[in-house]
Amino acid sequence: MKMFSVAHKTVFVVDHCPYMAESSRQQVECDVLTKSRAQGVIPLAPVSKSLWTCAVECSMEYCRILYDVYPKDKLVFISRVEMKTFALKQVNYIVSDSEFHILNSWRRGDQSTHELMSALAAVGPPNPREDPECCSILHGLVAAVESLCKITELQHEKRTALMDTAERVANRGRIICLTNAKSDTHVRMLEDCIQETILDQNKLAAGSDRLMGIQQCELVLVHIYPQGEDTLVSDRPKKEISPLLTSEVHSVRAGRHLASKLNILVQQHFDLASTTITNIPMKEEQHANTSANYDVELLHHRDAHLEFFKSGCFFPPLPGDLHMAGTSTRENNFKETVTLKWCTPRTNNIELHYCTGAYRISPTDVNSRPSSCLTNFLLNGRSVLLEQPRKSGSKVISHMLSSHGGEIFLHVLNSNRSTLEDPPSISEGCGGRVTDYRITDFGEFMRENRLTPVAESSHDPSGKVPVERAKAQLERYTRYWPMIISQTTIFNMQAVVPLANLIVKETLTEEDVLTCQKTVYNLVDMERKNDPLPISTVGSRGKGPKRDEQYRIMWNELETLVKTHAGATDRHQRVLDCIIACRSKPPEEEERKKRGRKREDREDRAEKNGSKEMEDKSWQDSERLKGLLEKGEQDAEVIKDSPDSPEPLNKKPRLMVDEVQPPERAKGPVSLLSLWTNRITAANSRKHQEFVGRVSSVNNKFELYQHLKEENGMDVHENGKASR
Amino acid sequence: MPTVVLMDVSLSMTRPVSLDGSEEFQRKNLAVHGLNMLFEHMASNYRLEFTALMAFSSLWELLVPFTRDYNALQEALSSLEDYDKTCIEAALNGVNNVVQQEWGSGCPCQVVLVTDGSLGIGKGSLRHSLQTLKHRGEDKKFPLPFPFPTKLYILCIANSEELQMTDAMDNLEHLLCLSGGDGQIFTMEGPLCMKSVQTMFGRLIDHAYSPFHAVLHCGNLSSDVQVFPRPEPMVVDEEVEPMPRAVSTDLEIVGFIEIADISSPPVISRHLVLPIAVNKDVDEVGAAATDELEDEPSATQMAGKSPNFCVLLHGSLKVEGMVALVQLGPEWYGMLYSQADSKKKSNLMMSLFEPGSEPLPWLGKITYLGPVSEAAENPYGEDDSKSPFPVQPPAKRSYAQNVTVWIKASGLQADVQKILRNARKLPDKTQTFYKELNRMRKAALAFGFLELLKGVADLLERECTLLPDSAHPDAAFQLSHAAQQLKLASTGDSQYADFDHNIAPMHTDFSS
Repeated sequence: MKMFSVAHKTVFVVDHCPYMAESSRQQVECDVLTKSRAQGVIPLAPVSKSLWTCAVECSMEYCRILYDVYPKDKLVFISRVEMKTFALKQVNYIVSDSEFHILNSWRRGDQSTHELMSALAAVGPPNPREDPECCSILHGLVAAVESLCKITELQHEKRTALMDTAERVANRGRIICLTNAKSDTHVRMLEDCIQETILDQNKLAAGSDRLMGIQQCELVLVHIYPQGEDTLVSDRPKKEISPLLTSEVHSVRAGRHLASKLNILVQQHFDLASTTITNIPMKEEQHANTSANYDVELLHHRDAHLEFFKSGCFFPPLPGDLHMAGTSTRENNFKETVTLKWCTPRTNNIELHYCTGAYRISPTDVNSRPSSCLTNFLLNGRSVLLEQPRKSGSKVISHMLSSHGGEIFLHVLNSNRSTLEDPPSISEGCGGRVTDYRITDFGEFMRENRLTPVAESSHDPSGKVPVERAKAQLERYTRYWPMIISQTTIFNMQAVVPLANLIVKETLTEEDVLTCQKTVYNLVDMERKNDPLPISTVGSRGKGPKRDEQYRIMWNELETLVKTHAGATDRHQRVLDCIIACRSKPPEEEERKKRGRKREDREDRAEKNGSKEMEDKSWQDSERLKGLLEKGEQDAEVIKDSPDSPEPLNKKPRLMVDEVQPPERAKGPVSLLSLWTNRITAANSRKHQEFVGRVSSVNNKFELYQHLKEENGMDVHENGKASR
Repeated sequence: MPTVVLMDVSLSMTRPVSLDGSEEFQRKNLAVHGLNMLFEHMASNYRLEFTALMAFSSLWELLVPFTRDYNALQEALSSLEDYDKTCIEAALNGVNNVVQQEWGSGCPCQVVLVTDGSLGIGKGSLRHSLQTLKHRGEDKKFPLPFPFPTKLYILCIANSEELQMTDAMDNLEHLLCLSGGDGQIFTMEGPLCMKSVQTMFGRLIDHAYSPFHAVLHCGNLSSDVQVFPRPEPMVVDEEVEPMPRAVSTDLEIVGFIEIADISSPPVISRHLVLPIAVNKDVDEVGAAATDELEDEPSATQMAGKSPNFCVLLHGSLKVEGMVALVQLGPEWYGMLYSQADSKKKSNLMMSLFEPGSEPLPWLGKITYLGPVSEAAENPYGEDDSKSPFPVQPPAKRSYAQNVTVWIKASGLQADVQKILRNARKLPDKTQTFYKELNRMRKAALAFGFLELLKGVADLLERECTLLPDSAHPDAAFQLSHAAQQLKLASTGDSQYADFDHNIAPMHTDFSS
């Protein structure tokens, strides 16, 4: 269905002439006497509805179904329809017989049954004592055409959004006229009148911004006559009056015939189909321990049964086709409906079904007991699987009923063979052999990055929509996020958690900074006490890195993490400053040696990453390399550590961290490897000229591509960071 | 998206191709060569595709049912026999049967029709089929369009000049149009030889069988992935937005949602998200086939050992029971989740939602989903006991708001009886009595059913007279008050018949 098909706008024109006050002659007994009280009481005479009442309640039922299935200009899946109902009616006053009453507008707020009921009550029933000569349905029809030219909110939005291709927004509509016509000639007269009005209105619309010309109009004229009378108007299938106007005539007796006619029409007009849920177990009021099986009929978009229609398992004639073929002698008691069986094993809501469509439903008989039992059951949050009734063979579950936020949807489940069956397992692909992913940590990360609806009215000073802010948060949270346990030390330490949680925030409070600083002091304390760290020694032989080396790795990593955020605010920077001030620096030599090893790794990344990321990448690489080179014993199980862990013996605690920074080497014997590498490095350095960058580096850092900065101004650095 | 290869094995396919070389080729040989190339490509780059091979002349035969075993397909190609004349309509009926039997009518399929452009003669020829299109009964309908969405690729072992000399080209174009217009006709350029047939199949491969590579991002974490099957461009509304939308090659995670909250959403397609090795940036069809045998084991082993974001994401999604919401392009979203096969295998899967800003009503507009950290208090509660989803629509549906419908007499009777039942239990049920009374009153006024108001007033008055001696004195007061109010409303006088007015219980000395 196109967005702006004739179903986008529907105008109801209900005749309010004195004749409509006539009784439909269908009587309703509303005084049902119970046996015990029956003696001596005269039951109340049955009441009967007027033609007007019949017309109004059936058109309201049409709207009820419509608003249930298409509550907005857009429904879930496939088609979008904005349903606008005008109940236009024609009031006859002796003074001005040209009056008509518009009950609502195309505004979205006006589109509800409650609004319409209220407006209808204000109009009241027709007055049978008015002069019938003075009123005509024509006034209402003219007003209907005029209203079709008025632009709806969705049309306006789309036209504004499309700008230069605004002409793609079409204007089509349908007029449903409930009246009591005098004869076939009278009907023809009404059609001609509408045709002329359309032409006139289109001329008007051509010169106006607020109006749109009508491209297509469908007139559905329903002639209503009381029970027991003969009709003066004959049925006529849809025919084209002009390229702009088609017209069809239905002649129906008031009462239940009219109701089922409008029920068929609403299905035709809005591509609806019917499903009957059978075998619904329901507790009997009288016999609470038994349950009888009930059926409930639901209406919904046809596409929920696309599979049936296509595969030919079920072939109802399309209501529309049937009518167009001219065989409108369809009997009312004959109903096309797809039967689906209630399926007892209930589904739980943590299962993700493969669902190819979800369509809003409306029960045909909304306040019958079986219907309300079913809808209440669903509205309470339970879901029901539905299966296709089959005489034999396996059972096929094809649909599911489920409610979301007070709306019930019929979900279409895929019941065919999947084209994705037997895929290679994720453990067979890239990264599949790695076993120490930080699954739990990433789970925690996901929970922190869950989404929540934000009121459209809430305005953010950054001017970003909420979803962009969500992405920005993801970016901040992942600036430094090692994927596997053996790649990280700090994220395996409880002691770092407070800092790690706070530093990713967009802004920090003074208190946050204090917490971060405390975390750092705590680490310093741990180092002083020589607490063991959960350093990974995967694949290493021997004892693994020395404890002071472990702390060096930990501090490096912490610095890397904080550095990626230091640019955000001054407070972030203060946290970094605190770390730099507190950590014990390795001697220059050590640092240089490390850099020599990792140069190759760094170079191919340097282009892609900004300078900051480059550092953390190279850090990771170097640590990994180290892990591979310095083979040590596996004792990586120490994940938890705390300042309370027993202090190792025979280590002399340092008194003050800041003042004592003994050279690394003094703290223990040098490993054979570092002796060897030092020697090689020294020998190599003699063979080549030192890089300019390294010679003139400050604190072992040298800014690359300085000339770019001069050429392009200050943006370079920013760009380098942004482009990933 | 499964593929059916429909190979013409009519006699005309055995026509020799004039070549300057010594070897003599038939058109059939060229076709087989091209198809072999296609199958080789699929085996190495598109191996999850299910493909079936059918041969047809005046009859059709399913040579290889849907399989991923490309050797079997190639073997079948090598043992093709020659038959009589071309009859495309029968073959298409065959395709229809085979596909529907295997995949049902909802699964999109690709049909690769390989023929030589001589489309049969007389009855059963394509020309005849197309001419008689409009004069057919329900039972003998032309098989196109298929009930399932189809992409029809017609590969002609002939060049376009040859096809245009007869009406073959027109007929093929008509055929493509009948199938829904999605697809393409490929012809050979230059002389009929191995090289030009390779070029033609190469074009088909580029068009329809090149793997879809993308980068999955989650902030700074990312992974190169192949999305299988290829996500197809999508036309939202041919009138307002006629240009198809394509899935971006940058898939950006925007956040995470619990499975219970997203609750089985409708999707337009499902795709496997397979992580791929980073350095494999060029997928040369020819080169890859030869090198791969030696290089691949070690390459995959290396790739298996280096950590990949997809694996991490998959593991956590599975453990936590969550999905990741992923942006596929402007106003187009999907979700990533862990999909378990029946066995131990599980996989990272991506489902695409309908394009648009609000694909799921219960999530609201996606652009208005923000991070939890911004909310004043955690909408999930401190212990994850709550959820901000589903988003409630502004208006309740009819079945959730106790509407009044009197189309069936039983509906009206039930409402009247409910009032009477409560009337007999006054004053205990005063609130319910007036609530039901006012509901009935509102509906009667809206429907212009004033006669009913009068009737119910009479009923209430009768109830009043029938009150037992033991009844509370308040009951009589309330009943006559209610009856009187209804009578006033039934006059239709705007003073008493205001829709928004409610009849309030009468204040008596007893009610306190």
